[in-house]
Amino acid sequence: MSRLTKIVLIGLILFPFAFLLMLSLGRQWPYPVLLPEQWSLSNWQVVLGGSEGLGNSVLLSVLLSLSVATLSTGLSFWVSRHIAYHPKREAWLSLAYFPYVFAPVILAACLQFFFIVGGLYGTFGGVLLAQLFITFPYGVIFFSSFWNERLRSMEELVKTLGGSTRQAYAKVLVPVAKGALMTCFFQLFLISWFEYGLTNLIGVGKVPTLTLRVFQYVNEANVFLAALASCLLIMPPVILLWLNRQVVFQERNI
Amino acid sequence: MQERWAAYSSRSLFVWLAAVPIVAGVSYALLYSLGLIGIMAEGLTLVHWQEVLTDTAFWRTLGFSLFVAAVSILLSLLLALALVLRAPQAFTRGTLSFFIYLPLSIPAIVMAFFIFQLLGKGGWLSRLSYQLGLISALEQFPDWVNDNYGIGIIVAHVIMATPFFTIFFANLYQNERLGEYLQLAATLGAKKRQRIFRVAVPVLLRRGLATVFLYFMFVMGSYEIPLLVGSQSVQMVSVRTIQRLQRYNLGDIPEAYAISVAYTVMVVILLGGLLWYNRKQMGRA
Repeated sequence: MSRLTKIVLIGLILFPFAFLLMLSLGRQWPYPVLLPEQWSLSNWQVVLGGSEGLGNSVLLSVLLSLSVATLSTGLSFWVSRHIAYHPKREAWLSLAYFPYVFAPVILAACLQFFFIVGGLYGTFGGVLLAQLFITFPYGVIFFSSFWNERLRSMEELVKTLGGSTRQAYAKVLVPVAKGALMTCFFQLFLISWFEYGLTNLIGVGKVPTLTLRVFQYVNEANVFLAALASCLLIMPPVILLWLNRQVVFQERNI
Repeated sequence: MQERWAAYSSRSLFVWLAAVPIVAGVSYALLYSLGLIGIMAEGLTLVHWQEVLTDTAFWRTLGFSLFVAAVSILLSLLLALALVLRAPQAFTRGTLSFFIYLPLSIPAIVMAFFIFQLLGKGGWLSRLSYQLGLISALEQFPDWVNDNYGIGIIVAHVIMATPFFTIFFANLYQNERLGEYLQLAATLGAKKRQRIFRVAVPVLLRRGLATVFLYFMFVMGSYEIPLLVGSQSVQMVSVRTIQRLQRYNLGDIPEAYAISVAYTVMVVILLGGLLWYNRKQMGRA
């Protein structure tokens, strides 16, 4: 690929990021000017000042996504081991594909009644549980290829040497699975971080994550704050990507 | 004993978190659509199903969802295959191998907002056209957002899916040692066109069929993008279902659930078709 084609491709890839950043820093953008007439950091100061509640949404989104990713990764790691070693492994695993038959938002619509009855409608716990319904099966599918005969032999060796199941997890399985656990955690964090429809329906707007904020600002025709909330939504995945690249780069150098 | 208890409880948890919500959701939607439960329940009736199945708008919604998914996936596949086959190594090492991942960090709702600000009548492209003298008023800019052909929805999905398929095919190219196959084909006298259309494209598409299909389902059931940049007169399935559920008319709710069940049945049939095809291919191999 020629250098020029590469530059054009990188330019096209970076365009949406630059465009959103431009809008988040703008104040006046009347038609037909190409760039905002005024530039200001005041929109970003809103986040730090907390006057629009955007700071709270950032914290709420981080807390929700961290909780969902931690719970789903831990539970799916534990459960997938028992599924993987079951004689009818394939039949069990096919259950994990069930949630993907539905679009998440339609799943939420069909489950609304149960969340109301359970007193979870419009609560942080309700949204967390609803997101678990999508992320947990994904985690099980993710880890299903991780378990193999070699790991089983290592586990049995621990037990032969007098170790307990807990020690097998703590001293062997978790350290061996560190890379897979991190990858799964990041992927589940992003699924939760990007979620809108299900969070909106089960949270009834009372759990205002960043995705809901973007939609709210778009509805209010507040282009600049919508762009700012979009930038805040994009930032963590970009940082994760950059960190991932650094780790891979370091590993290659080692 | 402890191990057996752990196995039993972990599998129970799996059933409760993966299968029970779906079975409960579908059952509830089915019972509601049959008039057996809900505020307006009057006993078993097929009237809501009749209304949905004889409503041309419902079939238009299903057709439109299929159309948007098919066009988006087709365009993304064309672009991704062209990029990968032009420079297979460029996306697995070097600068582009990092940059190509960046679009994956854009959530659907942000992509929808970006497309709205880019392609809308008052958007950036409209402004650029004005500055270049291509149009002299905002109204002259074509309807690329909230239009009946789903142009905005398709563009948004193409921007999201192309990097994904590029990364996917670039890795597949490497893992399947496609370079060596292509070299072998060249040694045997195959021309460039034959190497691409008779070797590379069939191998990549056949190996990636399941992933392509799952992405197709994802586009068909997408919600945020059609909600922001879609039209009100021709809607996609998720948007139509949720709007009917959230209306003040309680009579619309059973119909919304009937649409949910009908959509689920369609997805199950398509998934069944994929599994059947995969097994047939494996049987051949």
